[in-house]
Amino acid sequence: MASSGGYTQDLPPQGGYGPIDWAKRIPKRVNGFMVFGSFIAFTTAAWVIFMHRRRIEKGHDLEVNDARIAVHPLYEAERHRMLMRLHRQNRDEERELMKNVPGWELGTFYGEPVFYNMRERFYHPTLEELYAHTKWYDIYNKAFEKLEH
Amino acid sequence: MPWKETDYLPSYEELTVPELTLTTPVMRAGALHFGKYCDNQCKEFMLCYYETMDPRKCLNEGKEVTRCGFEFFGKVKKHCADEFTKFHECIDFSSRDLIFKPCKKQQKIFDVCMREKVGIERPPVGYFSLTRVHHTERPKHTLPKIPLPDPIPDPPSVEGRIPKHKYWPKRGLFS
Repeated sequence: MASSGGYTQDLPPQGGYGPIDWAKRIPKRVNGFMVFGSFIAFTTAAWVIFMHRRRIEKGHDLEVNDARIAVHPLYEAERHRMLMRLHRQNRDEERELMKNVPGWELGTFYGEPVFYNMRERFYHPTLEELYAHTKWYDIYNKAFEKLEH
Repeated sequence: MPWKETDYLPSYEELTVPELTLTTPVMRAGALHFGKYCDNQCKEFMLCYYETMDPRKCLNEGKEVTRCGFEFFGKVKKHCADEFTKFHECIDFSSRDLIFKPCKKQQKIFDVCMREKVGIERPPVGYFSLTRVHHTERPKHTLPKIPLPDPIPDPPSVEGRIPKHKYWPKRGLFS
C-alpha cells in the first residue's frame, strides 16, 4: 500500500500551531435603552406600514362592495318579475289541477282561508311551496345551486 | 298556494319587458357608473320594496330601473366600447372574485372616457356603502286598517283584598 511516490507525512505548519484561545470572551454589553428603543422604533415602523397597507386593502374591498350594492336593484327588479311569473304559473297550475274536485276554491282549503291575511300583505312562500308543481330535482337543483360553481 | 281568484297578481304581459342579458364581469365593470347614472331610479325602487315588502306594488319602479340600465349600457356601448371591453375583460380574467384591484389601469382609462364623452363622474370610494337619503313624491305606503276586536275590560280592583304581610318592610323599595 505504502509507496514512495506521492507520499507526504502530514505535519504541523511551519513554526508550529498558534496558541490555543482559551480565554473567556464576554461580548460587549448593549445599553438597555438601545434595545428597548430599537424595539419600539421597529414596532412603530411596522405598525405604520401595516396601517397604511390595511387602509389601501380596505379601500379595494369597499369599492367591490360599492359595485355589488350599485347593481343590486337591477338584479332585484328582474328577480321580482321572475318570482311573480312563478306565482302566476303556480296559480294557473292549481286551477288546472283541481278543476275536477267539487267544492275546491283557489287559495283556500275547500272555501276556508289558509292564512289570516286581511291587510292584503304579500306572502313569501317557502321553496317547497314555490316548486310544488315541479319535479323533485328542480327544487334540489335550486336549493343546491351554489354548489355548482 | 295562498292566492285566491280575487287576489291581484300581475299578468304575463305586464311582466314581460326586455331584460338586460349581461354577464357578471360586465355588470361589475359598469356598476359604479351605473349606480351614479340611475341613482334616483334605484333608490326609488329599493325604498318602495323595503316599505311595502311586496313585489307586486313595485313592478313599475323595477321596470324603470331596467329601462335606465338599458339606457346606460347603450351609452357605454356607443361612446366607450373599446375602453369598456378592455376593462371588463381584465376583470374577468384577472381574479376569481372579480375585484377591481388588478385592473386599476384600465379603470382609469374607462373613467376618463366616461367623464369626457358621457359626462358621468365615478363616485368616490364608499359612496354606495354609505346611507343615502332619498326624496320622493310617492306617498308612503301604509297597510289598510282593519277593525280591531273590543278591548279586554279592566281587571277588578284589588284594593283591600290583598292581605298585608306581617314581616314585610313598612317603608322602602318593595313596601
